[in-house]
Amino acid sequence: MMKAPVGGAKHHRLLPSCSFIGLLASLALPAQAQVSPPPATRAGTTISNTATATFDAGGGPQTVDSNRVELLVDELLDVTVASNNPTDVPTTPGATGQVLSFRVTNSGNGPENFVLSTIANAGGDNYDPAVTQIYIDANGDNAFDPNVDTLYTPGTGDPLLQPETAITVFVVATTPGAVVDGNRGIVSLVAAAKTGIGTPGSSFAGQGEGGGDAVVGSTGADADDDGAFIVSAAAVTLVKSAAVTNALGTTDPIPGATITYTIVATVVGSGSVSGLAITDNIPANTIYTPASITLGGTALSDAADADAGDYNGTRINVALGTVAGGQTRTVTFRTIIQ
Amino acid sequence: MRTALVLSLAALLPGQALAANQVALNNSVFVERVSTDASGKQRVLLEEPKVVVPGDRLVFVLNYRNAGAQPADKFVITNPMPSAVRFADAGDTQSLVSVDGGKQWGLLSELTVAMADGTRRAAQPADVTHVRWAFQKPIPVGGTGKLMFRGVVK
Repeated sequence: MMKAPVGGAKHHRLLPSCSFIGLLASLALPAQAQVSPPPATRAGTTISNTATATFDAGGGPQTVDSNRVELLVDELLDVTVASNNPTDVPTTPGATGQVLSFRVTNSGNGPENFVLSTIANAGGDNYDPAVTQIYIDANGDNAFDPNVDTLYTPGTGDPLLQPETAITVFVVATTPGAVVDGNRGIVSLVAAAKTGIGTPGSSFAGQGEGGGDAVVGSTGADADDDGAFIVSAAAVTLVKSAAVTNALGTTDPIPGATITYTIVATVVGSGSVSGLAITDNIPANTIYTPASITLGGTALSDAADADAGDYNGTRINVALGTVAGGQTRTVTFRTIIQ
Repeated sequence: MRTALVLSLAALLPGQALAANQVALNNSVFVERVSTDASGKQRVLLEEPKVVVPGDRLVFVLNYRNAGAQPADKFVITNPMPSAVRFADAGDTQSLVSVDGGKQWGLLSELTVAMADGTRRAAQPADVTHVRWAFQKPIPVGGTGKLMFRGVVK
């Protein structure tokens, strides 16, 4: 349907030579939200515009094309970095090969190499993780595998990202030995467009995809995000006590008296200890009372078998396995004074 | 059969040469940049499109002039949207638009777009495929005018 007539007021011959700038300034600038639905127009694309006029000057319909204007879309340099670790990554004092994961996205409109670096001493934490390597996820599984993923080498290995695509980057660090439970160490991964960075709007003439300029976008063409380790350590304290009973009903350590030893293992910290075992040699001049080992009040056999305790003729042993911070284990056994 | 004669002449002559005698349509494009001065006042500047990136606002300007010896009746200017440009508005030029590749025309507020589920929704500026201005009165001999529309580089 042709809805005529509209726009008829604009062709007065006496239209004053109002400046074009003035004309546009008089038009209200609509307060439209800056919508940017992906994908952005690829750098190097030519925008071409032509209008056509049709009219009848008495000789039937005629068509006139306008001149064609062409614009080359320049390359926008933009990048985003986001940590893939939703929470702090647990580590332990002195641990090597500790991994943080990041997502680096080329949010520009042209293929671009990105230079990767880390910052571990920016403060705001308790210690500085020692970054040893940066790896780039080679097989897209987002899981770090040093045998599969690509060790990043600055300069020659700056990853090339197509527009609107992303890679996973792993930062590998060593936790210093001196840290204590609850310490937090932040590492920031920085990705910067190799063509250049700067204030938004600054440009690099002729360095864009397709022969145009490269223009720094709203991200400044570099971006970073923090990942953090949390030291999750645990310490064990053992407290041993002895109680004597004898036939006289006193607590004197006379021959024939029974000594009940109690060993309490307490684990403190946010982590846990694994492979915890309590071993105690039977003191000289005493004789172990068979089948007297208990763990948490439950009797254990002397044989090295399915239960946690055993006695081998010189010492008792109770294997506690993994014990989380905040828990205690109580072991008792008895001997008789010779 | 004057009409037939003119048409056959038009077929023989280069279209541009004939057009130059009748109506001239000049097309130009600018980048619209908004800057905020120290006092917080916004200024809209139109610049030559030396550097254009996604998100930039473009202003397309069409100047027409009836250079012929006869008034130009049923004067219609049609501008297909470049594929990499999302229509924004046509200022106060009261344009018609099409959201279906030029089949139907209307004010943007009157048009609808078919959804996948068979229903129709109101057309949005981003749906516009063509902009058109249809003039009520003939363009007099020597008459000139200026039309514009804005778009955003996708």
